[in-house]
Amino acid sequence: MNLLLDPAVWSAVRLALHVAFFLAIFFLLKELLGLRDFARLRHLPKPKGAFRIPFIILSLAFCALLVYQATWQLTGVYRPRFISFMQSHDRRDFNPAHRIERGRILDRRGEVLAYTRQAQGKVERVYPDGPIFAPVVGYSQPRFGATGMEAVGSVYLNGGDPGNLAEWGELGRQIVARDKRPRGKDLVLTLDAELQRMAVERLAGRHGAVVVLNLRNGAIRVLASVPSYDPGKLGPDLFVNSSAESALFNRATQGLYPPGSTFKIAIAAMALERGFQGTLDCPADGFTTSPSNRKIRDHQYYAARRQGTRWRGFGRIGLEQAFVQSSNVFFAQLGVLQGHEAFNAMAQQLYLNRQILLHGGFSMRTGKLAQLAEPDHDSLAQLAIGQGRLLVTPVYMAMLAGAVANQGVAMRPRLIGRSSVAPLARFMTSASAEQLAGMMRGVVTEGTARGIADVRLALAGKTGTAQNAQGDAHSWFVGFAPAERPALAVAVLVEQGGYGSVVAAPIARDLLIRAQALGLVP
Amino acid sequence: MKRPRPKTVKRPTTLAEAWALRWPERHLLLLCGLAIALGFMMVLGSGYAGGRAFNPVDLLPLGMYGGCLIAMHLVLVTARFHGDQILLSTLAFLAGFGLLAQYRMGTLDPSNLTAPGLYLLPAGIVLMLTICVGLMRGRYARLSSGLWLWGAVSLALLAILLVFGQRYRGAFYGAGLITPTELLKVTVVLFLASFIDRYAKALANWDKGFFLRALLPLIAFWVVLSGLLLLQRDLGMFFILGMTLLAMLFVGTQRRRYLVLGTLAATAVGYLVLGFFAHGQRRIQAWLSPFEDPTGTSWQILQGLSGMYSGGLWGAGFGEGNPEYTPIAQSDFIYSVIGEELGFVGCTLLVVFFLIFFARGLGVADQTRSLFGRLVCVGLICVLATQTFLNLGGVTKLIPLTGITLPFISHGGSSLITGFISLGLILAISEGPASGQSKRQSTPLSTRSISLAPQNKRANRGTRLGRGASAR
Repeated sequence: MNLLLDPAVWSAVRLALHVAFFLAIFFLLKELLGLRDFARLRHLPKPKGAFRIPFIILSLAFCALLVYQATWQLTGVYRPRFISFMQSHDRRDFNPAHRIERGRILDRRGEVLAYTRQAQGKVERVYPDGPIFAPVVGYSQPRFGATGMEAVGSVYLNGGDPGNLAEWGELGRQIVARDKRPRGKDLVLTLDAELQRMAVERLAGRHGAVVVLNLRNGAIRVLASVPSYDPGKLGPDLFVNSSAESALFNRATQGLYPPGSTFKIAIAAMALERGFQGTLDCPADGFTTSPSNRKIRDHQYYAARRQGTRWRGFGRIGLEQAFVQSSNVFFAQLGVLQGHEAFNAMAQQLYLNRQILLHGGFSMRTGKLAQLAEPDHDSLAQLAIGQGRLLVTPVYMAMLAGAVANQGVAMRPRLIGRSSVAPLARFMTSASAEQLAGMMRGVVTEGTARGIADVRLALAGKTGTAQNAQGDAHSWFVGFAPAERPALAVAVLVEQGGYGSVVAAPIARDLLIRAQALGLVP
Repeated sequence: MKRPRPKTVKRPTTLAEAWALRWPERHLLLLCGLAIALGFMMVLGSGYAGGRAFNPVDLLPLGMYGGCLIAMHLVLVTARFHGDQILLSTLAFLAGFGLLAQYRMGTLDPSNLTAPGLYLLPAGIVLMLTICVGLMRGRYARLSSGLWLWGAVSLALLAILLVFGQRYRGAFYGAGLITPTELLKVTVVLFLASFIDRYAKALANWDKGFFLRALLPLIAFWVVLSGLLLLQRDLGMFFILGMTLLAMLFVGTQRRRYLVLGTLAATAVGYLVLGFFAHGQRRIQAWLSPFEDPTGTSWQILQGLSGMYSGGLWGAGFGEGNPEYTPIAQSDFIYSVIGEELGFVGCTLLVVFFLIFFARGLGVADQTRSLFGRLVCVGLICVLATQTFLNLGGVTKLIPLTGITLPFISHGGSSLITGFISLGLILAISEGPASGQSKRQSTPLSTRSISLAPQNKRANRGTRLGRGASAR
């Protein structure tokens, strides 16, 4: 006998059977409870309820089990790793996790950085700008899981996290109606898409990182890392190489680089905090802690030697002039004068050697400063000019510059628009910060960054040219603008870029001027 | 509907009386049959909608179930059985539900008429009725004289399995992947009930000589049993029997110290055992952080939970899911299949039926005045309840996975048969003591507790409490 059911008829019959099955069981249950009295065991002695309490405990245990089960079965959307497991590994076509139309990820002005497209009943994620925003946005893909803001905001993007009663009602409706297509919510980032595109473009394929942030509220406007990957075209080969050279590696938040002269901001802050006010003699021939070590000299010395002339040295100068001219000889001596204790205290106060969780699993490293053995004066001299056993991340340097311009207070960096503004730590007193801000302004008006002085925007900052083991020096610029009422902090790093004043500083200037045009400077 | 309330407490003597007495059972069994038949329609329908041809033999399991229900009722009426009707109806539903779930998972294949799996349910019901009718009218009390027989059988089962068994997925199985240790759930309960019944006074009062006479043999038995179980890495069974021992000791002696001491000992042993067993640690790890290794140790549980999430509140109906994505779902993970296809509501209903079953079993124990009968009831219900909780808790990730089957529902002949044997015993006990003895045997337990008090010690000396009131 061959009896084939018409699928259209079957779906109606199926529903009817489903309902009837439940109704039959409910009725059976009702009768079971209703007939309890009729089926009492009258021939036995009267019940005494000796097992009432054990049975109540047993029932409570099973109730707890059902409640716990419901947290998976009904409100599983609140378990982001569970949803992402199902989105990656569950082959059931009817699993609602596959139908979730995740919300879009937008920049601060509503430009779309990631959205979901429906195609043949399946959903897929689209990233219009490819690699540019990948360091922040990350990816969400069934095969490879999720990272970045896609992972951090997963619950929100999937439509969970109901904030008010109406949204709870909507959630309840979805549970009861088995809505197959819940629509997620849009996640608005603090990034400025146009500025970030410009940053990547100006890096022009060179490895590096750019960070621009609002130093008053910590909102990150640019967080660029080059090279990057296209989150819309993931392949297994991308995950084979997980070294620091990988495109998956976020140079802005995780990349540790020698800071070079930009770290003089921190050293100057330390000296100011400890009451240093004097002058130091800075001979042209340089400075060393012992005759066996190479001398630390100023770049003017090398410049003069290349031209065949002789440089006379700075002579006896104070902190401000040394900072503006970026005198290595001065800072090396200053570092040795301050001593090990001062460095250890600075590492603590300036939040070095830390990992800061920004949002959920999205974290940044600050830097790495090794503990020094007591008699090691040469290391102190090296650290004071930003070399030696000291590494920092670009986002940390932007945070440091921001703290100088914000009366010494570093704000917690943030990437999600609705996240709350919070100070991270006080890096220095407001008096030191004010003095230091003046010095950073001096670097642009008369010091090493004279080349980027611009009538449109009063910039302040510090250049850096960091020696490293990989090859040419890393090019750094760290600063803020406008000088009179600071709004934005910036850090630009170009790996093996050469002089900071030549490569990194112009990029920072152009970005800040563009930011002003975009209304990011009030 | 006419609902005659029975006025007499007398045992039914004629067929007509028995027929009238057992009408609630008839009514409930009919409803069970109806509900399960609807479920079968659902499974069959989804098969045909998927393009399978209709074959009349597909209806064989349903027919067999219906036949079993009718036969069960008729046998009990003929035997003038007087015992619990709710318990039997609940069991009928659970067994039918299990049959349906197994049919849906394809483990019951009616096209192969020689497959023994097909006849498990009728065999179980026949066994249950045999035990029930054979041991009713108080005849179950004779089981207590086989004290050392039950102990020996328990240990022998384990020892034989250890010597001749084959390893499969980290556990020991007998020939054809039968798990004879399932029978332990009955034999150990019978041993404990006989033992505690015989030495209740000594165990309760901790008087002189009690240690050597009562506690030491028990401890010795328990150490050997635990050792054999742990050698087979059967942590789940170890836990179930441990819980049962504590519950029975407490019920038999009414002394809280056993609960306290037992809990302390269990914690210590549990800690030690986990230190020794790598697979136990792996399961704890998979339980605590399931997303550490989602495609390895946590794969099964996460697939089960994914299925449940797909099912949502109502599910799409039996036959409409993809439980085949959960490895070996028909066995330990049958609950996740129910969650996937009948939703949270289906799961809740199943749990409610289990709770009614346990409540009724404990109710029988409550109304039984013979200590042995009471202990057997409590022990068997404790075994089934612990087993159910371990299974459901493991599947829903409330507790670590123990690899324990779900009574009456999971695939597995030994487990099913053991369940039916347990129920047969409880039903026999619910029938009450032999007629004519009911008055004398219904000495309330509280009186006995008082009689254990010191002033009555002398009077009771030499009386073996375990023999029951009939010996006095």
